[in-house]
Amino acid sequence: MTRSLVMGVLRRLSLVLAGLTVWELVARSGMFSPIIVPSLARIGRELWFLATSPGSLVEVWQSLFRGLSGFALASVVGVTLGVVMGRSAVAAAFLSPIFSGTYPIPKIALFPIFIYLFGIGSLAKVVLVFLECLYPIVVTTHAGSRAVNRVLLWSAANMGASRGRILARVVVPAAAPFIFAGFRIALPIAMVVVIITEMISSADGLGYLVMYSLASFKTDRMLAAVVVISLLGLALDRLMVALRDRLVFWERLDSYYAE
Amino acid sequence: MNPRVIGWGLLAAVLGLWQLVATRPEHPEFVLSPVEIAVHFAAALRSGELLPHVGASLLRSLPGFVLGSAIGVILGLLAGVARSLDQMLSPVVFLTYPVPKIVFLPIVMLWIGIGDASKIVIIALACFYPCFVNAYYGARSTPRIMVWASLNMGARRSQVFGKIVVPSALPLVFAGLRVSLALSFILLFSTEMINARSGLGFLIRQAESSLRFDLMYVSIVTVAALGYASDQLLLLARRRVLAWQAATTR
Repeated sequence: MTRSLVMGVLRRLSLVLAGLTVWELVARSGMFSPIIVPSLARIGRELWFLATSPGSLVEVWQSLFRGLSGFALASVVGVTLGVVMGRSAVAAAFLSPIFSGTYPIPKIALFPIFIYLFGIGSLAKVVLVFLECLYPIVVTTHAGSRAVNRVLLWSAANMGASRGRILARVVVPAAAPFIFAGFRIALPIAMVVVIITEMISSADGLGYLVMYSLASFKTDRMLAAVVVISLLGLALDRLMVALRDRLVFWERLDSYYAE
Repeated sequence: MNPRVIGWGLLAAVLGLWQLVATRPEHPEFVLSPVEIAVHFAAALRSGELLPHVGASLLRSLPGFVLGSAIGVILGLLAGVARSLDQMLSPVVFLTYPVPKIVFLPIVMLWIGIGDASKIVIIALACFYPCFVNAYYGARSTPRIMVWASLNMGARRSQVFGKIVVPSALPLVFAGLRVSLALSFILLFSTEMINARSGLGFLIRQAESSLRFDLMYVSIVTVAALGYASDQLLLLARRRVLAWQAATTR
């Protein structure tokens, strides 16, 4: 029993351990210059440097601020639009062709126009994050608020709840599992878009740090930044799952990446 | 009212409004009217300024998409049915799922150069994830009764995989392919905007920095059209392949 458990854990870790071992062996073999494959120790040292220097914390904060403000905007607007589309046939008739028609268009292509409209600062990036996050949230909220059990709506109306009250107290909670599924898709997208826009044009943020370290041949620092970005993406996803389990306590998370 | 009529009506209304705003005397220089964009589009097509870049872009995004999604679908299906592969692969995949794959572009560029290969690798990496996850859950949600029934009727393991698991996972596989396709375009234009000497992302950047707003809008319209057209193609393929699903849900 314990033996199979150990084997299971080993098998789960095997790919990660194998990858790290191969990396370290290649780095130490001297086949490549440390610029191309820096050793894990060097990356760790740079990671420590990033964690302790106040300047790099500012970069982290910049990226987080851009990503989260765009995501927050998209979640407010997206949930509102999705619920309205789900509960009003007129709104759905007007809004759903817009969303389904523009859904497959890569919004990142609009970035140059946004730079002209909103400047090269944070605003253009936040707007692009907002736009990319809006679609999954609207689509899932729309589906969720259409799937609300009619009996709940009827009994709320029967007990004298107004339309607005029904939306806030019945439709939104009933659609919450769907809404959170949309949030879970949108949050990594927010980070991807922030990093991309910072890599394309920026003077701060983690995406800029990656490109700047690459341009100055500090590959170890670049990889440390990559590790930070990865951990950030993971932590945000975990936080979102924790929040979801708190708020949607009546339904177990049984969909994607449940482990 | 027919939703299609409303959709086209809205599109016409937006374009009309845009035309009105863009032809007012005080509009900013970087706003072009739809008619102007259409004229420039035709001109760019004729002058050969556009098509080579479209070709360069497609030669990066299509191999990346095909490679990444094929590996993702195959490994996802296998991990869905084989426990040892599942235990080996799934933790790594689910752990790295929320990581933005674009951050690996610089290191891949260092290893295999700044040419097309690094872009294809990054696009393939990004396309791998949605396909893997969807194929994995598709294979795992195969109805057990069907597997038992086919085993009972004497099917071999490979037959169960090919005739039961794969068809029942197909709807989710297509959902994953659709997400990957959209991702492949996003990654394509970002990698080309970050560094490239050809392609639509490069064209947009170049037009932007040389203040050629006509060319900028033409490339943006081309990007939008390519994204839309490829999505429609995929939906068409899904309708073909999944004809049985439409028949059973009708």
